[in-house]
Amino acid sequence: MTANVSLQSVSHSFGSFQALNDINLEFSAGEFVVLLGPSGCGKSTLLFILGGFLTPTSGQVLIGGRDMSRVAAKDRPTTTVFQDYALFPHMTLRDNVAFGLRMRGLGKAKRCLKADEILDLVGLVDKASRKPHELSGGQRQRVALARALAVEPEVLLLDEPLGALDLKLRRQMQEELKAIQRKIGTTFVHVTHDQEEAMAIADRIAVMNHGKVEHAAPPEEVYLRPKTLFSANFMGDLNMIPERFMGRPAGANIVHAARPENIGTSGDISLGDATLEDAAFFGTYHRCHFRAADADRTAYVAHLPVGALPQIGEAVPLYASKPLTLGTEV
Amino acid sequence: MRALGWAYMTAIFIFIFLPVVVLVLFSFQDSRLPVPPFDGPTLKWYAEVLADRGMMEALRNSLVVALISASAALLLGFFAAQGLARVRLPGSILMRGLLIAPMTVSYLIIALGLLTVFNTLGFRPSLWTTGIGHVVINLPLCFAILFAAMGDHQKNAERAARDLGASDMQVLFLVTAPMLKPALLAAFFLSVTFSWDEFIIAFLLTRFDVTLPVEIWSMLRSGLSPATNAIGSLVFLVSIVILILLELIVFRKSKS
Repeated sequence: MTANVSLQSVSHSFGSFQALNDINLEFSAGEFVVLLGPSGCGKSTLLFILGGFLTPTSGQVLIGGRDMSRVAAKDRPTTTVFQDYALFPHMTLRDNVAFGLRMRGLGKAKRCLKADEILDLVGLVDKASRKPHELSGGQRQRVALARALAVEPEVLLLDEPLGALDLKLRRQMQEELKAIQRKIGTTFVHVTHDQEEAMAIADRIAVMNHGKVEHAAPPEEVYLRPKTLFSANFMGDLNMIPERFMGRPAGANIVHAARPENIGTSGDISLGDATLEDAAFFGTYHRCHFRAADADRTAYVAHLPVGALPQIGEAVPLYASKPLTLGTEV
Repeated sequence: MRALGWAYMTAIFIFIFLPVVVLVLFSFQDSRLPVPPFDGPTLKWYAEVLADRGMMEALRNSLVVALISASAALLLGFFAAQGLARVRLPGSILMRGLLIAPMTVSYLIIALGLLTVFNTLGFRPSLWTTGIGHVVINLPLCFAILFAAMGDHQKNAERAARDLGASDMQVLFLVTAPMLKPALLAAFFLSVTFSWDEFIIAFLLTRFDVTLPVEIWSMLRSGLSPATNAIGSLVFLVSIVILILLELIVFRKSKS
């Protein structure tokens, strides 16, 4: 089961606070979409509007072409994996997973069979008779996922589902999520503030800030050709290039910048001399902090190839290549 | 210092339990008065009490009033707590305060108020009016216990149930109530014990059919007898049994 999602001029306010401002987004059926942004950017609000827990102040939500704006959560073809999992503590894993099927009037034998099937998909079928408090965080997370998938939603919503897991487990669960999504083909909408997680799992990332979508595109494009200064900054380290080095007059609300891997001792744009202040070894590169010798004392972060590290305190000519042209406003 | 601590603890326990121990001891008194010296054990007062039809009827009345009034208080308190915990209403803090307020009013005042109201409405004093009085004193208790037990954790599970297609009634009976089971049982058993022990309201709001405390009171007026000790010990036993049940069913489970 899968469906496309269309958000048309969706806005939402909590009192005088504008949480979402004119959101227009189209998700294709079967796409893995990540809503990425800092806390308070409106990504969770948007997810709750998709799930039917909030009614947008204005605008329309279409799922599979049908207008869902006034449909209650229980009648939507969506289910949600909540941040705190929200498992039912008094039920076994099997009953947790079968709950949605029970609500759809499926008989006990059938729904238990189906629940075991889904538990098998997330590798917990041997613990089907346990209760949630007997599980680890990662296992609870899987049960929450199984419970949401059991009713075969057209769109699965995930609200920072990996936020409570430790780093190693989080990376592992990212891969599993991606594999499960490929297998069942359901549209996934996943909220996170972790840009590495977003890049690891998304078919498409929507970078959000202050209730607006700054950039919605595949991970490569958002990283390599970001539209705005905010999304470029959020996706990774950024060096601002002073406009005098660009050789042409800058437009209004336009800045230029380069990723650390595009700063080096050779390249297209000369940044003048800079002193190496500090360096750290990261296995495949040296992460170097430079300070320009000019009046502004501009700071640069560069990833230099292994073996090409100048002495600390040494001044070298610094260059930038592949500069990004970024808008400072959406 | 350590000895002082032990002495203090012993003193406290003597202070709390001496009256009960004396009460129970002299219910076995083999003479006509429940006062020292103790004349050797007998069960005849228990036999007398258990053979007393008025007393046994009062005991049954007390049980019925306690169970029904506690159930009513629990149900009303549950709905009130669920409503005020989940729905944002103007003045909900005020409503919460009003619901809990009767706890601060003396039972005598509540009984007098109810007596006046029932008189005006033309209701005769009966076990029903006593039961209503016990709902009045136990509803705030049930509400307070249940409201305190409803946290965000619960709210999120209810939201998840709704997301999976549960109707409001299904959420209430399949998720909310089972998750609150320890609090529900605690509120129910406490209400039963309070109703079971309650005297003033029962005294003012009953006439022909009376509850046990009222029956004991009328027995006391005809003078002290080891029989009153025997019935007192039985009442105490019932309360203890309820407490032990509460401990076993509710608190041991909620720990796991």
